[in-house]
Amino acid sequence: MPTLPEIGLQHYLFVGAAMFSLGLIGFLTRRNLILMFLCTEMMLQGVAITMCAFGAYHGNMAGQAFTIFILTIAAAEASLALGLIVLLFKERHNVDSHAWKQLRG
Amino acid sequence: MSFVLEHSYLIPLLPLLAAVVVGLFGKTFLRGWSHLPIWAGVGAAAGLSITLLLGLVSEKHEGAVGFSTVWFEWFRAGAGDSGEIVVGAGSWIDPLTSIMLAVVCGIGFLITIFAAGYMKGERGYWRFFAYLGLFIFAMSCLVMGDNLVMLYLGWEGVGLCSYLLIGYDQHRLAASNAARKAFIVNRIGDFGFAVGIMLTWYCFGTVSYFGSGLGGSDGFLEMVMHWQTHVPADRQFLVEWIPFALMLGAFGKSAQFPLHVWLPDAMEGPTPVSALIHAATMVTAGVYMIARLGGMFVAFPDSLLVVAIVGAVTAVLGATIALRQFDLKRVFAYSTVSQLGFMFVAVGVLAPVAGVFHLVTHAFFKALLFLSSGVVMHATGGQLDLRKISGLKKHLPITRVVCLVGCLALAGFPVITAGFWSKDEILVGAAQVSVLLYVTLSITAFLTAYYTFRLYFRVFEGPEMFPQSAGHHGADSHGHVEHDQEHAKHQDKPSKHEEAHAHHHNHEPLLLIAPLVILAIGALVVGVVNLPFSAGVKAHSLGHFLGHSPSFILAHDILEVRGTSIDATQLATQYGQPTEKYAKVHWVAMGLSAVISVLGIGLAFVLHLKDRAKGDALAKQFAGVANLFERKYFIDELYNRLLVGPLRAIAYLLDALEYVWDGLASLIAMVPQAAGGAIRLTMQRGYLQGYALTAIVGLAVLLWWVLV
Amino acid sequence: MLGLSESTATGAASPFAAPALTVALCVIAAVGTMIALPGRSKTNALRIAGAGMMGLAFLTIAILLIVWAGKSLGSISYAYFWLFAAVSLICAARVVTHRLPVYSALYFVITVFSTAGLFVLMWAEFLAAALVIIYAGAILVTYTFVIMLASEASGKGMISKIAGGEAELPDHDGVAREPVVACLTGFGVLGVLMFAIFDRAGGLNAYGSIGDSPAMTQTGSIQDLAVYLFSEQLVSMQVAGLILTLAMVGAIMIARKRVMFADDERLAYEAETVVGPSTPPDDNPHSITVSGESGPRAKRPEPELASLD
Repeated sequence: MPTLPEIGLQHYLFVGAAMFSLGLIGFLTRRNLILMFLCTEMMLQGVAITMCAFGAYHGNMAGQAFTIFILTIAAAEASLALGLIVLLFKERHNVDSHAWKQLRG
Repeated sequence: MSFVLEHSYLIPLLPLLAAVVVGLFGKTFLRGWSHLPIWAGVGAAAGLSITLLLGLVSEKHEGAVGFSTVWFEWFRAGAGDSGEIVVGAGSWIDPLTSIMLAVVCGIGFLITIFAAGYMKGERGYWRFFAYLGLFIFAMSCLVMGDNLVMLYLGWEGVGLCSYLLIGYDQHRLAASNAARKAFIVNRIGDFGFAVGIMLTWYCFGTVSYFGSGLGGSDGFLEMVMHWQTHVPADRQFLVEWIPFALMLGAFGKSAQFPLHVWLPDAMEGPTPVSALIHAATMVTAGVYMIARLGGMFVAFPDSLLVVAIVGAVTAVLGATIALRQFDLKRVFAYSTVSQLGFMFVAVGVLAPVAGVFHLVTHAFFKALLFLSSGVVMHATGGQLDLRKISGLKKHLPITRVVCLVGCLALAGFPVITAGFWSKDEILVGAAQVSVLLYVTLSITAFLTAYYTFRLYFRVFEGPEMFPQSAGHHGADSHGHVEHDQEHAKHQDKPSKHEEAHAHHHNHEPLLLIAPLVILAIGALVVGVVNLPFSAGVKAHSLGHFLGHSPSFILAHDILEVRGTSIDATQLATQYGQPTEKYAKVHWVAMGLSAVISVLGIGLAFVLHLKDRAKGDALAKQFAGVANLFERKYFIDELYNRLLVGPLRAIAYLLDALEYVWDGLASLIAMVPQAAGGAIRLTMQRGYLQGYALTAIVGLAVLLWWVLV
Repeated sequence: MLGLSESTATGAASPFAAPALTVALCVIAAVGTMIALPGRSKTNALRIAGAGMMGLAFLTIAILLIVWAGKSLGSISYAYFWLFAAVSLICAARVVTHRLPVYSALYFVITVFSTAGLFVLMWAEFLAAALVIIYAGAILVTYTFVIMLASEASGKGMISKIAGGEAELPDHDGVAREPVVACLTGFGVLGVLMFAIFDRAGGLNAYGSIGDSPAMTQTGSIQDLAVYLFSEQLVSMQVAGLILTLAMVGAIMIARKRVMFADDERLAYEAETVVGPSTPPDDNPHSITVSGESGPRAKRPEPELASLD
């Protein structure tokens, strides 16, 4: 069996960064408001992986604690954002983010 | 007395508290009772002040007497080259302070009582009393402060109150113009004063009079004796300018020529204000300042010469203008200017005791005269023109008597009036320095006696001319005051007009008359404090008392050390140590001034009571001179031409230029405006993701910049 | 269980990859994503090809990673890591590129599960469980509900083949917005981050090993986490609770809002009788009423909302 390298910090960081970037692209390209928020959750997930990896690397709990706070924010955001989306949908029968461009004033 | 010394802060604090209470609650709750807190506050301050004065007088003193109390550290500023300035708020209590405090608070209290009757029913009654309380606060800070900055605080505070009270009747253009004039003219003087304070600090490194106490050399008045050793060499050339700068402030506040123009106009304010601020107390602040800083002035005798000359010029100027004024209050205003000139001469000729003495007596009789003119105004419905009123003695019997007392005092009627003794002191002081000065002042005294009794004979004697129905709400916009308490009880709500007519028989309500009587008694007897001979009271009591003030002692020491052209033994008199030689001169001068006074009164009697036609004819004969006096030497016109006109032209020019600058600025402002509009129209599309994209591109660039 | 590191400092000297290669990989991945994103004229085959490009780029990066990390002890965590990482990233890509929101949400669930696996590898068992419960269990269920509630598409759509059949997709699901700029930007960020992770992490070990901390292997990390949270992060915990409460209150307030339907003409014309918060059928943003205003301007709605593009 060939010797394989061990999994290091950078591996996890890369996964976190990639997930963050994919979420970013999704947020920028998808026009469905629900999907946009889903993609932000994904970005948060990427950050959570990074946090956790650093926490494990340094052998302390700060990374995990911050991940918990990220989860908190994500939950709060989801509840509010989804409520707003439903409200907007009721108004326009549409979840297109462009349906609300008049808000630019 | 030890209580007062320990709690000296109460004297300014109580009137201030009263003013705050009235200011906060006067409009809504206190209304017609707004005078009560002020009576309490000022009355308490007066009580404390008089306790302090009596306590200091009754104690036996040796050498300098002065008590320093630091209330709190006010501020500290500056550092480096010139060192740090630490200014404490604190009091310096010595004989000079105690006399000033007693005058300010005592007369202030009497006038607040008078004002409660006089101002009754006026709009903004509460406002008036709040300002009065504030004034007493500022004035007591002025005289109590232990450093120049405290003095300046009070100085500006009384200036503010003066402004507010002159313009009390906001709806009258003349009043608000007069208020502004007073404020602006005072600014000119105060600028000099401020420069003087800064120079003092720059040269001496402190603004405290006596530092932490007597006997040291950490106050600038203590340093001034050997200022060459205390002032850094590169700043010594500035020291001799300090008194000149400070003097400017005194000229402004005390209405000395060329800055006297504001005081006569200030008579637009309510009469109690004229009496309190523009006759008895505030305008004497300049005299107090020069007396307090005597050492500074004495060290540079040129400055004293200027003070004396300006004082003499002002005295003559004021007296001659007063000859041809027809408004009762204006006569008194110019008389005040003239009398202040006397006081300046006194401090200028190294006779500050005489100056302070005259300050005290003048406070009594001039407040008395102004208040009597208030009663006259009250009775005649604002009519104060000498040509339109006459023979009021039947209607205003008590006022006539007290006014006669005031006039006698102002005229310097021999022996029985206080004014005689104090004016006499000044004349003697002047005689010792210069015969010319003495002659000038004597002529002025003659004119004073003449115009005072011209006024008295015109108003109270002769055929009756009483404008009963003539404009009850005249120039002062002052309604007839309802004073008869008994009557008020019977009538539930009589209309103001009805009552005004119903009470014509009583023009002298108690609230107005009581303060007048007290002041009249004062105007007669207060002279005993500094008689040149022993008569129950020790001779020169005031001089001996003031002689314990460190200000006077230091000035005296500087004179002895540095020497002047004046005989030091004579000067000793003026600083509280009378000598034999002095007494001889005094008796001659006294006789002369008595004669002068009586002559003046006699001339007035002839021209204005016995044969008024003759007096009028005489005026016609010298129409040119009379017109010159009547138009106040055209000084206002001169100022308008020389100063106001050019300034106004510059202002118009700048105003025109302002349009140009404004246009340019608008042009520049249009660029970002246009850019913003363009961005708004092109980039602000309302697409949520467009904004996010922009933000992310920014983030990417930033990450690149920071990380790579 | 997990291999302890005998990490050497050998990696420090060797760069991860030539910068040009990194840039090229990012560009390839970006182009692939661009193609894979839903679009009006994109066939399924084209989109699969795009996905292939993206996968190729990520695969190359993975190989580079193995090469860069150098030889070392293999361990059982090795296989698990690659498994979870691959699943999570593939599903993440599907979340972004799938045309149907419901599928995106379901792919996201898989992403969450595999991320939880990664957390387990990092000794964060509690977080792994929490992630599954909160994300997969609570948040994603809510999303799915909302997607179902809000998917009565209006406006013109396009016919697409989905899951064997044909369906009409609304534009906002079927067409991506500005894919070029967005993808380049997104992968630009990733490139910068990679550069930072691999070439600029001088302060870290050449490649740091996860999981060899004695503290973490010897004691239960859940206990440690609890102690840490309730001692050093106590205030933050309280604040987090407060935020959750506020979010709940806010969500309830939003849900209680009455909305007047734009196409309900009866309501629109009887607007004066509506008391309470309402939103007028008006495009003018200034006409969005505040609570309590009655009688909004009863303007007829625009006939074509879908023509906003």
